[in-house]
Amino acid sequence: MVKPQLPAHGGNLIQAARRWGIPRERWLDLSTGINPNGWPVPAIPPEIWQRLPEADDGLDEAVRIWTGVPDAAECIPLPGSQAVIQALPGLRTPGRVGVPHPGYQEHRHAWAEAGHQVRPLSREDMDQRETWLDELDVLVWIQPNNPTGQWVDRDRLLAWYQRLAARGGWLVVDEAFAEGLANVSLAPWAGRPGLVILKSLGKFYGLAGLRAGAALVDPAIGTTLRRVLGPWALSGPARYVMARAIADQGWRARMAERLQAESERLHTLLARFGLRPTGGTLLFQYVRHQQAGQLAEALAQEGILVRRFDRPPALRFGLPGNESDWRRLSDTLAKVIDRLITN
Amino acid sequence: MEWFVSSVGVCLAAVMLDRWWGEPSRWHPLVGFGAVVERLEHRLNRPQGTSVWRGALAVTLLVGPLVSVVLVIAWLLPQPLDWLFSALVLWLAISLRGLAEHGMAVARPLAAGNLAEARERVGWIVSRQASALDEAGVAAAATESMLENGADAVFASLFWFLLAGPAGVVAHRLINTLDAMWGYRNERYLRFGRVAARLDDAMNWGPARLTALTYALLGHRQLAWRCWRSQAPAWDSPNAGPVMAAGAGALGVSLGGPAPYAAGLKQRPQLGEGPAPDAVTIQQAIGLVRRGVWLWLLVLLVLAVTGGVLPW
Repeated sequence: MVKPQLPAHGGNLIQAARRWGIPRERWLDLSTGINPNGWPVPAIPPEIWQRLPEADDGLDEAVRIWTGVPDAAECIPLPGSQAVIQALPGLRTPGRVGVPHPGYQEHRHAWAEAGHQVRPLSREDMDQRETWLDELDVLVWIQPNNPTGQWVDRDRLLAWYQRLAARGGWLVVDEAFAEGLANVSLAPWAGRPGLVILKSLGKFYGLAGLRAGAALVDPAIGTTLRRVLGPWALSGPARYVMARAIADQGWRARMAERLQAESERLHTLLARFGLRPTGGTLLFQYVRHQQAGQLAEALAQEGILVRRFDRPPALRFGLPGNESDWRRLSDTLAKVIDRLITN
Repeated sequence: MEWFVSSVGVCLAAVMLDRWWGEPSRWHPLVGFGAVVERLEHRLNRPQGTSVWRGALAVTLLVGPLVSVVLVIAWLLPQPLDWLFSALVLWLAISLRGLAEHGMAVARPLAAGNLAEARERVGWIVSRQASALDEAGVAAAATESMLENGADAVFASLFWFLLAGPAGVVAHRLINTLDAMWGYRNERYLRFGRVAARLDDAMNWGPARLTALTYALLGHRQLAWRCWRSQAPAWDSPNAGPVMAAGAGALGVSLGGPAPYAAGLKQRPQLGEGPAPDAVTIQQAIGLVRRGVWLWLLVLLVLAVTGGVLPW
């Protein structure tokens, strides 16, 4: 049997440095969609490193306040949403699972690995009436979708949930890129049977290396999930940083405003070069482009790493972190487009 | 002086031939040349895009023999036949009527509201992505092409004929064609095409400025002059800059600006001043080139006539 290839991700600077012969520190990495100006991490007290993490350290309560979930919901801190993306498929007998395509590949990969039958859902599927929904036992939706930036109206998502739940199905909503957007999260409905919501600190908070997130689930899934994850799934320092980051409401409000402005700026910049994004979030813009491969290659030769997709051909641009990076992106795009003019 | 008078006569004859016959419809010598250029580039540009010297060799191999042949023919032919030969060479090089016909093929459907056909036709004369152009974009592309080709083909050919005879015309025409085929800044041509591009820059330096002056004199003079001075330096080609800035100013329209290619929008500075161009602008640009040619012929005639009288 041929092993399915592991999904590729952005942010692999060491590999890029080797492939294009440009030293690591000279790269402008726009390949990830991680906030380049993340939450400022404070010093961690020595006992946090030395003691075992304690479940009643107040993190669960902090997550409740952060997400605004009702009492019926269970909040489970996670070592990144990846932990639960891998754990969830094992909690159900193999069935049919709908996963957005293009979409974050780990979902498709994890369900397929666990023996489920994966039905890729294209943008066209989303735009039409959801006849495909009746075939599914589980629907995974990424809100807003990564990399396309497409998002589904909250009422429509809830209607899908109703139809799935009526048959004992699940709706899994990955809200990794929803932070900072008003009226997007399904957290106010968390706790209903079969509704799984995934939160992450990797994107908006810029703490991708921390591997911290949370699952908002109903008590039944919650109990199983806690058992599968085992004790101390999230390290003490991660719990400490996470609790403080999500409690910092002032920073969150200021950052949401700032990212709103910067994502508009990125949209405008790309459009000025004829690369009008077809979708995006606060943290990235998605550009469908016939010459995506050539553009990505030419940008990489100039030391700018963007994420490239082949089916359909597209590029994902993350936010530059400071003025000189913004200027570098603009200058390089001008140069690269000039160089791709062949006839 | 006799030489100058006969050269002016040949210029007049070539322009007349162009008026009567236009472009040769069946066979143009440059078509065959293009095929040879492509084959030689495939052979010599290896490994692709690495060598300036191989590009220089290619230019020499392509231009040298043809220019030598023209020199020998001009040398061997007796007087009246020599003039006829010169007039034929110059006629083939200027193709003013061909330029006007290409421009009108865009202007006519554009004026009739047939944007699809105008796009298709403009795609024949410019390399940008025609499908992404709106009405003003089509008009701007065609107008820019008229102004630039007026300089490169019409005025530069007259200039090089007066300076170096039929061999000069052929050398300029071939190098200009090589620049059009190899003068790109992509990996394939950046090095290989450098010699052709620099030679073209050098050969067109004088003619481009005389053309810009011609456009300025025959249009909105002050605006053309102001645009030439202020906008041309920012343009990425040292010769197209003055020609197009002065031309846009002379016509009193806005040209330049971002242009769509398959890879994306190429950022270009603004040229000229005033409203966006339309179908009429293309016709005005053709008119500007035409009147420019008459102005040149008039000046040449005056010089030829007074040449005998004046002390020099």
